[in-house]
Amino acid sequence: MKNINFRMRQKMNEVFSVEPNDLGVSFMTDFFKKITIYLKTAPFVFVVPLTILISLFLYIIFGGLLVRLVTILQYGY
Amino acid sequence: MATDLISSLILVIRNFVLLIFSPYKTMRKISLEKDYYQLLIISGLVFLYFKFIYFLRDKPYPATLIFLFFLFNFLLTTSFFYLINKFFNSKKNETSFFSYIFTFCYTLFPTLIWFLSTSMLYIFLPPPRTFSNLGKGFSIFFIAYSLSLLIWKLILVYLAVRFSSRQTFFRVFYMIILYLIWFIPYSIFLYQFKLFRIPFI
Repeated sequence: MKNINFRMRQKMNEVFSVEPNDLGVSFMTDFFKKITIYLKTAPFVFVVPLTILISLFLYIIFGGLLVRLVTILQYGY
Repeated sequence: MATDLISSLILVIRNFVLLIFSPYKTMRKISLEKDYYQLLIISGLVFLYFKFIYFLRDKPYPATLIFLFFLFNFLLTTSFFYLINKFFNSKKNETSFFSYIFTFCYTLFPTLIWFLSTSMLYIFLPPPRTFSNLGKGFSIFFIAYSLSLLIWKLILVYLAVRFSSRQTFFRVFYMIILYLIWFIPYSIFLYQFKLFRIPFI
């Protein structure tokens, strides 16, 4: 029982180690919380499709420049 | 010592996997970490990377020298955030310097993956990329892959500063902006000396 209490207290301390974010305006705080929910757990579920769309969009806009950028990046290791 | 090292290695692997699936909770836990072997393992991985690319680059600096520069940059970054937080902070919110070290050490994973995969691709698919359909397809894939890792890195850096400094969103944002103000010219300076091509590691 003592062990469970200790673990509970430890978990509570961990969870409340930072104060919740408040952006000053309530609608901005709500918006921020809605967005960050998707980034707190398994962000790649949203990030991967988003980056594929962004890179396709960049290819449509810049075309060959994107291929040149990849060449430069490949020398950047 | 060996068993400590093995258990720390298991913890590093566990934290690495959890940073993919639940970065928020994991980074919060890492900020309270006290197992110093984990730092040793992650910096060992970085050193191994520098050793590996030593054989790929033309006229490189010795891996040990690059690693020492990396350690210097890393300590500079963590010290900057620690000191700026001290400046921002009132006395009621005391933070530990090792919390910064631990969290920032784990933010190295996305960059380490990117640099390692790019150097492997340099061997198996050496540049320059062509304008054929395969070349264009690969370029789109590579940009999407790099952007995904960059977004992951940004999330981890934000969480590292947030949990180490225990500040709110705007203050974390200002701290990162202040960091970039000196870090971007400093990176260009390092680039001139060919110490770092892309100075995220």
